Amino acid sequence: MVKPGEKVKIKVKVNGVQYEGEVPPRKLLVHFLRDDLGLTGTKVGCDTTTCGACTVILNGKSVKSCTLLAVQADGGEILTIEGLGNGKLHRIQEAFSNNFALQCGFCTPGMIMQTYYLLKEKGSEISEEEIRDGLHGNICRCTGYQNIIKAVEEASKVRS
Amino acid sequence: MNYVGKPVKRLNDSKFITGKSVYIDDLQISSLNAAFVRSPYAHARVKSVDASDALKTKGIVAVFTAKDLNPMTSDGPGPWVTYINQAEWKFVPRKPLTEEARYVGDPVAIVIGIDKYSVRDAVDKVNVDYEELPSAIALEDALKGEALVHKELGTNVGYKKDFSAGNVESAFKSADKVIPVEASNTRLIPSPMEPRGIVSRWEGGSLTVWYSTQIPHFAREEFSKDFGIPSSRIRVIMPDVGGAFGSKAHFVAEDLAVVASSIKLGRTVRWTATRSEELISSNARHNTFKGEVAVKRDGTILGIRGDLTVDLGAYLTYTEGLQPAIIPLMIPGPYKIRDILVRSTAVYTNTPPITMYRGASRPEATFIIERIMSTVADELHMDDLELREKNMVRADEMPYKNPFGLVYDSGDYLSFLREAKEKLKYHETLTWAEAERTKGKRIGVGTAFYLEISGFGPWEYGEIRVDERGDVTVVTGGTPHGQGTDTAIAQVVADELQIDIGRINVVWGDTQVVASGMGSYGSRTISIAGSAAKSASRQVLEKMKYVAAKMLNADVEEVEYSSCEFKYKKEGKSVKWDEVAKAAYSGKDPGLYASVTLEGDVTYPYGLHMAIVEIDDTGIVRVKEYRAYDDIGRVINPALAEAQIHGGAMQGVGQALYEEARINDEGQLAVSYAEYFVPTIMESPHYTSYFTDRPFPSNYATGTKGVGEAALIVGPAAIVRAIENATGKRFNKTPVTPEEVYKSLIK
Repeated sequence: MVKPGEKVKIKVKVNGVQYEGEVPPRKLLVHFLRDDLGLTGTKVGCDTTTCGACTVILNGKSVKSCTLLAVQADGGEILTIEGLGNGKLHRIQEAFSNNFALQCGFCTPGMIMQTYYLLKEKGSEISEEEIRDGLHGNICRCTGYQNIIKAVEEASKVRS
Repeated sequence: MNYVGKPVKRLNDSKFITGKSVYIDDLQISSLNAAFVRSPYAHARVKSVDASDALKTKGIVAVFTAKDLNPMTSDGPGPWVTYINQAEWKFVPRKPLTEEARYVGDPVAIVIGIDKYSVRDAVDKVNVDYEELPSAIALEDALKGEALVHKELGTNVGYKKDFSAGNVESAFKSADKVIPVEASNTRLIPSPMEPRGIVSRWEGGSLTVWYSTQIPHFAREEFSKDFGIPSSRIRVIMPDVGGAFGSKAHFVAEDLAVVASSIKLGRTVRWTATRSEELISSNARHNTFKGEVAVKRDGTILGIRGDLTVDLGAYLTYTEGLQPAIIPLMIPGPYKIRDILVRSTAVYTNTPPITMYRGASRPEATFIIERIMSTVADELHMDDLELREKNMVRADEMPYKNPFGLVYDSGDYLSFLREAKEKLKYHETLTWAEAERTKGKRIGVGTAFYLEISGFGPWEYGEIRVDERGDVTVVTGGTPHGQGTDTAIAQVVADELQIDIGRINVVWGDTQVVASGMGSYGSRTISIAGSAAKSASRQVLEKMKYVAAKMLNADVEEVEYSSCEFKYKKEGKSVKWDEVAKAAYSGKDPGLYASVTLEGDVTYPYGLHMAIVEIDDTGIVRVKEYRAYDDIGRVINPALAEAQIHGGAMQGVGQALYEEARINDEGQLAVSYAEYFVPTIMESPHYTSYFTDRPFPSNYATGTKGVGEAALIVGPAAIVRAIENATGKRFNKTPVTPEEVYKSLIK
């Protein structure tokens, strides 16, 4: 049991780097990433798991980090937008830029991370229907989505 | 070099796709956090605030109320006087915190602490004693005037003006038919993906404000006015802004409270709105038009008269004053309607305040006039576009002065419409839809035309700096926040200077870097900011010729410039761009800078958009396809322009079908995305966007007219028309809900 005001030790690997820290048990994963680790690429758009701006990969699955507690990630491995592509642009990132698939850019990290998960699951044979189905938890207010669909299609065809 | 007209890739994408973007909440600045105690009542007097429990919470630094902060402001935000005639309005300037809450969510106290968790804890511990007052939630109730939102105004009517032109009486007397018309927009929420935020730092006499805004220089002016600080000691910095759509061109009370708190504490204070807070910070539209139209049997529109009523919400925001004053002027649209009377009334209600939202008045006006045209077409059994053609202003009448005095600069609506019908496959698509319907499918096709007013002077700033390496910095008063106009401006400058676009960096949004500026809104940036940058480029090039002439021992008139080379033909000598730049910083009269504050006027883009909808058995409408044909003047970057059509059309789909800010009888707005439905990728249609090959340029040096708002201006009218085509029933408001469509199917 953790008493009120007590902190909890967690260990997580983020973008290949091992972190150990103490967090209040109620701290959200997204705040741990942004405020404790300074990884501000992951955004907070809605607080209610609707918009997907906070999407990261936890243990191989995409999650919305605004509705997970940091303690739930204990012992886990996380990939955020900053860790994608190992210092080079990932093909998904390139495809987003090539296809004008972003405007204000706020949803973009979450959109790219969800695309990363989707393409990992579906591979290069992905259909437009599957893209729509796979990205419907990520809201973009600027692009109208068509260029995002084009970007995902392009990324799915490029070999990594 | 030839960049203009090409789909040049966005120059600044890299940081956005790699997570290096820095929006307001990403700023790594040591700061205190703020949260707000908000009124749970639509209208209530604050009798007392007890913060003693809150102050005992771990990490809490201060709790301030209206008594603490309001005396620090000598004034508060009123209407945007650049565009709004303040004298026509009854309003009370906004203050940091309120002693009389006028909507659910009106901030009553600010809690400041060391992190975002502790301040939320403390907010719950602030005990406020309220005396509930009678409230006016619905527009109709507010009009009765029994409950007053602002007692000191003596009325809920903030604005009332008749817009009258020609002779409406006689127009209606000579009519073959008088047709009643109605058009309303339910309340929307602009919903940029980045909630607003502010970080305010007070350093003994100097104020630095990082601010998610579209209008940093106006913000500097406002803070200076409100707090009595010289504007030369205020620096407003606009970081990356995650969308705005007009909603970040106004100052919320929370902004003032944060600035006041930072001054009072001498500390840096940060507030990032939660989504719920963003949803109450800026609502939009919410208006009704009821009237009648006088027509001849052949389809000639003789006159329009009616009442426009606009809901203001609880306070007059910076931008809301545009709606009741601009909608009437634009109701005639591209049509030759000379006799018109619009009685415009704007009313305060105990609801969240209304701001401008993408299109700001032109979507409302376009919805009204296009509903009128479609209704008349139905009543006279005419084809939609044939009726429009009959009433359109002809090319030989350009520039055309509309009955309210707006001067349409250029265009040929009739030949454009003929091209548009071909390009969008108007007749084929109508025939196809009809055939689909006979097969039992509920398919509908709708078109609407728009004429919009954009550019919105009065001026904009542009500066070019060529440094000692020959690289170029463009400083613009425009404030791109997603549109990609930074790239478009770079294209214009690169062509003007004939240099590689990779050598150009465009900077904006910092009042200490940019001498002056208006900002980005009203589809103005590429026209007015782009033209200012173009003009400054020419001046810099003149200076470079002068430097080159000295290097070549020539007269400046003898120096010709092309492709990074200054040539003295007579002597067969030349110097390179980089050499000239270097020389310009080594000899006499050093420096290569030019700045231009360019005056500009409005300009009038236009277009025809088409929506194809399919309706299922439960009344749910899907926009399957969206086609657009536009004359936006010269197109600087077709990919960026097309992207604006896509995004605007998606918001048009949202307005037409899904988006509705719901407020219950107690004045509580539904404040999450579970209840306010922003379209997802599932609702996204297939878009096809074309720009005419023979555009009519504006008077701006760029020749552009603007495209940022076009599709949201016309989209809702086209989509609603498509639903009518599919169902055979009439719909006069947005959104058209599944319930309404379902009812129309079973009747």
